[in-house]
Amino acid sequence: MKPNRRFIGAALASASLLGAAATLSPASAASTVVVGATETISSHNPHGDSISMGYGIWCEVYGCLGTYSFTKGAYVGMLAESWSVDKADPNIWTFKLRQGLKRHVDGKELTSEDVVHSITRMGTDPQTRQKQNVKHVKSVKAIDKYTVEVVTKQPTAPLLEFLFDRVMITGKDLFDKHGPKVADRQYPLGWGPYKLKEIVIGQRIVLEKDPASTFAKPENPDTLIFRIMREPEQRVTALLNNEIQIAQFIPPHLGPRIKSATNANLVPTSSVELMFLAMSPKKKPFDNATARKAACMAINRDAIIKAILGGQAERLDAPIGEGQYAYNPADAAKMKVPYDPAAAKALLEKAGLVGAEIELETPVGRYVNDKQITESMIPMLNAVGFKAKLKTPEWPTLWANVQKGNVPFFYMGRGGVVDPSPAFAQYFETGGSPRIGFSSAKVDALLQKERATFDPEERKKVINQAFAQIVEEQPACFMWKHKLLYGISKGVAYTPNPTGKVWGSEIAVK
Amino acid sequence: MLSYIVRRILGTIPVILLISLLVFMLVQAAPGDPADLLLSDEATKEDIDDARKRWGLDQPIHVQYGKFLIAALQGDLGTSFRYTDPVVTMIVDRLPATIELAVVSILIALIVGVPLGVWAGARPNSWIDNVGSFVGFFGISMPNFWFGIMLILVVSGYFNLLPSAGRSTYGVGGPPITGFFILDNIIHGDWNAVRDGISYIILPAVALGTNMMGILMRVTRSSVLEVMHEDFVRTARAKGVRDTVVLWRHVVRNALIPIITVVGLELGTLLSGSIIVETVFSWPGSGSLLISAITSRDYPLITGTVLTYTLAFVIINFIIDILYGTIDPRIRFDK
Repeated sequence: MKPNRRFIGAALASASLLGAAATLSPASAASTVVVGATETISSHNPHGDSISMGYGIWCEVYGCLGTYSFTKGAYVGMLAESWSVDKADPNIWTFKLRQGLKRHVDGKELTSEDVVHSITRMGTDPQTRQKQNVKHVKSVKAIDKYTVEVVTKQPTAPLLEFLFDRVMITGKDLFDKHGPKVADRQYPLGWGPYKLKEIVIGQRIVLEKDPASTFAKPENPDTLIFRIMREPEQRVTALLNNEIQIAQFIPPHLGPRIKSATNANLVPTSSVELMFLAMSPKKKPFDNATARKAACMAINRDAIIKAILGGQAERLDAPIGEGQYAYNPADAAKMKVPYDPAAAKALLEKAGLVGAEIELETPVGRYVNDKQITESMIPMLNAVGFKAKLKTPEWPTLWANVQKGNVPFFYMGRGGVVDPSPAFAQYFETGGSPRIGFSSAKVDALLQKERATFDPEERKKVINQAFAQIVEEQPACFMWKHKLLYGISKGVAYTPNPTGKVWGSEIAVK
Repeated sequence: MLSYIVRRILGTIPVILLISLLVFMLVQAAPGDPADLLLSDEATKEDIDDARKRWGLDQPIHVQYGKFLIAALQGDLGTSFRYTDPVVTMIVDRLPATIELAVVSILIALIVGVPLGVWAGARPNSWIDNVGSFVGFFGISMPNFWFGIMLILVVSGYFNLLPSAGRSTYGVGGPPITGFFILDNIIHGDWNAVRDGISYIILPAVALGTNMMGILMRVTRSSVLEVMHEDFVRTARAKGVRDTVVLWRHVVRNALIPIITVVGLELGTLLSGSIIVETVFSWPGSGSLLISAITSRDYPLITGTVLTYTLAFVIINFIIDILYGTIDPRIRFDK
């Protein structure tokens, strides 16, 4: 019996169909940029999610008061033209809005009522996941058409970190007229450089430039598409095939593929995510400060950065690094914890902690090469006298336990640290959160002082004093900041943002 | 027949109830709290408590299950914690993509696996049998997530023949009618969009269907081999019927029962197996939705999606049982 001719015919027909399909390439308009993104916006409600990419996208659609400029090293206004703190009462902040800003489609002018509405909604919307951004706000009111007054519960110098590119300014009139659901889904109109054209949750977000916007530039792409592509392999392949023009977060081992490509460049950028080893002083053996010091001195960070991270990370000598608010290289040099296994061993011996059992917990696949990194730490810890084991629970399990303060020793990252105040208050101030379980009167006093210090230079000094105290007591070993690697098409000019947000208004199509 | 159908439908009710209870309890028992996972890193304890209260997680588990069950009986599977949309709407939106992928995968598996199995079974130890066995074992032993990544690397990356991810090119195709992209565009008569849809579905469908193809090949081969030795085959040959007619009209028809069983079972497996493949190819189906629901402990979405899969399994098995009687008249449902 021989293979049926009809079958061969069918096979050939299928092959020709495949071929026909294969000749198709994705449509690409002249001024369209597609970003291969790793996160999805999960709601049409701009307050219904709390992810970095989401804040960036909504800010470009609705508009936000301002953002932190890494090139200027300072906050710059967007919808807000200027802002000030009352000298007599530092709880009172005044924001002056730009005048004459016209909303997409209907041209309605931005007013202070919209800002008041948005700040209020962020705290009261039943779907909000951004309540923490307004936790310092006691009240907000419109002084006149273009002036907003925000009163804080206590003096809060880092207030802009909470309010600037996190509070999306949505239209009060649309909300009042249509209600939140209809307003968010059918009238997502704002004052940003891009109009929202489509959200298919989990698939793509499509933005269209508003050429009339003050914030849009002629070289910005007319259409900006965020395609959700979680697999790094997929993002790299799509970039090299010209399916996308910007590929976010390339793991170091895939970098060489982009480097050798003719159509794209590998662009590294510093990040604002701090990687650290946390040690709970509430749990043995880390209740003894000597054990914490020894653990930090046992880790050879340079070797890990070189061998496992392919050099794509910046060692942290202080709790924060270059590009972050209040970073001071001179202070950082003084805080550096040396890699000194001999000294670490001596410390453990002196404290009678040789053979102390410790269990390092790490997520797997959440941070770059997290498992490999922590695997390499185990022999380093053992070499100085600990009896260390690695534990790799599933992320939700680990995170739930960390949130409750049940994990004595863990490897983790804290993203979005531009102004370090919120993150450090949360991890290291008494009552901030139970995650590390650290409490120090000296650190508390310094963190409270920095929040009440409004002179920027003075505040930076106080922040560094707080850092020095944290490093002295060492509830955490600060490891590195990963470099974010982006694959960027040669047809596009873009300098990636350390926060991981992709701003269409900073992309130029060549 | 009618009484059989009624009995089967009645029999599925306790199955679904039991599974709903199991899924609900297991999901709640899994470590990790949705409020911890879904709120920001900076959320305070009060924010977390508020969210738990809003989602009803502060109530005892039997109360939560009771409320879920009453709502589910009225067709309401709750509201997703993460996406804040009704679970039913989300599943209805995503399911067509999963079914479309499963159907194309099955077609690929059937078109390749069954003929190969028939030829291999008809000519044991021949070159076609060796080729078929190789293809069969390759399909069975290849993990679909790995095969998917390899397809992306080779077909999309190296040869640049097909798109690496997604379901269609943005802006291509008419408005959805049924939710099945290819079918909708056939209805619209938009052949460019149909080709676009096919180009996107080929790789995930091959990745998903290869395993089933291997199983089908092996089952068909064994079944054909068995039937080839039956008396009626010898009789047909003795009567001078051509080999091709004996094989395709007599042998294959009698070998169909195990093949249909496998197709039925595998169809359910394909729906659930698509969970991984959908993630690898960013295919916007219910599988990738379930993954994101699990990682964020979105209880209503997990329970709703798993129940939908359960229902699909039950319905598929039910249809397969009915088909048995149509294909083999010896099977009766009266008793």
